[in-house]
Amino acid sequence: MIVVPRLSTILLAAVTGVVAVLLYSPLFVPIVSSFFPVARGEVDWSSPTVSTYVALAGNHEILAALRATLVVGLCTVVLAVVSGTLLALYYHGRRAGRSLLQFIVFLPFLTPPIISGLALLIFFREIGLERSLLTVIVGHTVFVLAIVYRTVLTRLQSMSRTLVEASYDLGATKWQTFWRVILPNLSSAMAGGAILAFALSFDETMITILVTGTQTTLPVRLWAMMRLGFSPDINALVALILMFTVLLCALAARFLVPRQIATQRS
Amino acid sequence: MNQNCDLLTLRSVSKSYGTVPVLYDIDLAIRDGEFLTVLGPSGSGKTTVLRLIGGLEPLTSGEIRLDGQDISDMPINRRPFNTVFQDYALFPHLTVAGNVGYGLSVRHVARKEIAERVAKALELVQLGRFTERFPAQLSGGQRQRVALARALICQPRLVLLDEPLAALDLELRRQMQEFLKSIQREVKTTFLFVTHDQEEAIGMADRICVMEAGHIRQLGTPHELYYKPNCEFVARFFGENNLVAGTLGETRGEFRAIETALGRLVCSVADQPHLKAAATGARGFAAFRPEALHLAGDGDAGNRFSGAIADLAFAGSSTVATITAGGDAAQRLRLRFPSRMDGSVLRAGETVALSFAPHEGHLVLA
Repeated sequence: MIVVPRLSTILLAAVTGVVAVLLYSPLFVPIVSSFFPVARGEVDWSSPTVSTYVALAGNHEILAALRATLVVGLCTVVLAVVSGTLLALYYHGRRAGRSLLQFIVFLPFLTPPIISGLALLIFFREIGLERSLLTVIVGHTVFVLAIVYRTVLTRLQSMSRTLVEASYDLGATKWQTFWRVILPNLSSAMAGGAILAFALSFDETMITILVTGTQTTLPVRLWAMMRLGFSPDINALVALILMFTVLLCALAARFLVPRQIATQRS
Repeated sequence: MNQNCDLLTLRSVSKSYGTVPVLYDIDLAIRDGEFLTVLGPSGSGKTTVLRLIGGLEPLTSGEIRLDGQDISDMPINRRPFNTVFQDYALFPHLTVAGNVGYGLSVRHVARKEIAERVAKALELVQLGRFTERFPAQLSGGQRQRVALARALICQPRLVLLDEPLAALDLELRRQMQEFLKSIQREVKTTFLFVTHDQEEAIGMADRICVMEAGHIRQLGTPHELYYKPNCEFVARFFGENNLVAGTLGETRGEFRAIETALGRLVCSVADQPHLKAAATGARGFAAFRPEALHLAGDGDAGNRFSGAIADLAFAGSSTVATITAGGDAAQRLRLRFPSRMDGSVLRAGETVALSFAPHEGHLVLA
């Protein structure tokens, strides 16, 4: 560790503190104000209340958007995890067309969302697919696939080749080796990738706006509401989503740390 | 087990990776119940031999026979062999018991029987208390023993060990050598052990197969390899040795002369018909071990010559003198003698008379 003189330590702490406050305090404003009523555009700090949460429970538009977001997120995660894992396994098997595959998987993630969104929109129209949550799910899956693929592939590559050889050596078939050795060693990477994919899908706006039908997801709904000004129940919604996101991040961190390191620490 | 019966034979086995050949026409017979060590420097092809037998790699040509039956095309998971990998290859997501029982579980052995046999196997390797630990919670030596138990539990005909001690520190390695040897005697299974460490090979093997550059150079007991190496490579690689180049002279009974820069030396050629038969004038080496060389007394017959002591190195129980002889600075000899408490009688720079007995020297062809 670098030895830092006492005064510098205090200065460092102060700077860190200021940066933390600047970065994170905006996040706390909606959380705090979600517990106070708003009258004529001003927050009334004198009387704490949970009325915004009650109002949120009655806001059917928001709740429908939230439900749509969750449905899209879950479907996207399932599709992306299954196909991302299969792609990673294929790539790791050192077969032909590897670099092309890598390129294709990463392309949608790297192109600006508006381009991906437009491309998908044109594609769906050409094949005559009505815009709906289904098209949103397809759009999101294409977008987040690279994340799951990369996470799983990294784990595969860090897995010792001799694990698979040892499994065969001990008499296991290919199928048994896949289910009993490869998949269990990938599962935490798959879970981590799934959480990241869900988070990405959750706030994806650009592609969603372009390919969605009559139903909207939460970010799109919030986007639309901006024009009319926020109602107080948005604060409650933001507070809930923030809590949920923090939980997801904690879970992702837990899964993406390899098991061996985790056990060695305990 | 009958040690004279061949368990596994390799017949003109070759292996290339792409266009790069790594094994040339290997013939090898492994006897039932023996501890056979394949010894060679890195890149000699010793690990490839093990991988071919284990079925981890396909042969390029030749065949492998088990009990006389060709198994060259038998898939790896059907071969009655198990491997202890260099990095142990323990499954990180399974407990010690899960790892050891894996081979039985994939063969659908009943759960109760697996538990019993796992307990017995762990007892054998003295890890009975560790069943529920994960590999990450074990020390290197313990992982090694789990890997061994996992390989033994399916009662393989042959256990393949790929430099399993390489990752351990010296003290632990010594312990594991004895441990492996005792386990092998206890389970009476054939062990094929690959290593680059000749000390390890001498200590454990019934027979040693020395490999270099994709060829088997010699196969024999440690004693045979040490005292009757059949080529320059084995003579230099296997233990410390003194080699003096020269041309072969006449044969007299069990001895043959060789003309060298140190003069005419006479060495044993007993039981080595190819040395008796070699043409006079053929190039070769007189070889004698550092412990066979000693200071010549007055009445000493045998091979006498003089040399200058270049260096003395104290090595505990023995001291090794490096000597230049025959007027050639590049011709260095080593003389090993028991250390004495009151210091060495030799001094660096001194010229001394040296000798070795004809029956303690041998010949190798160049």
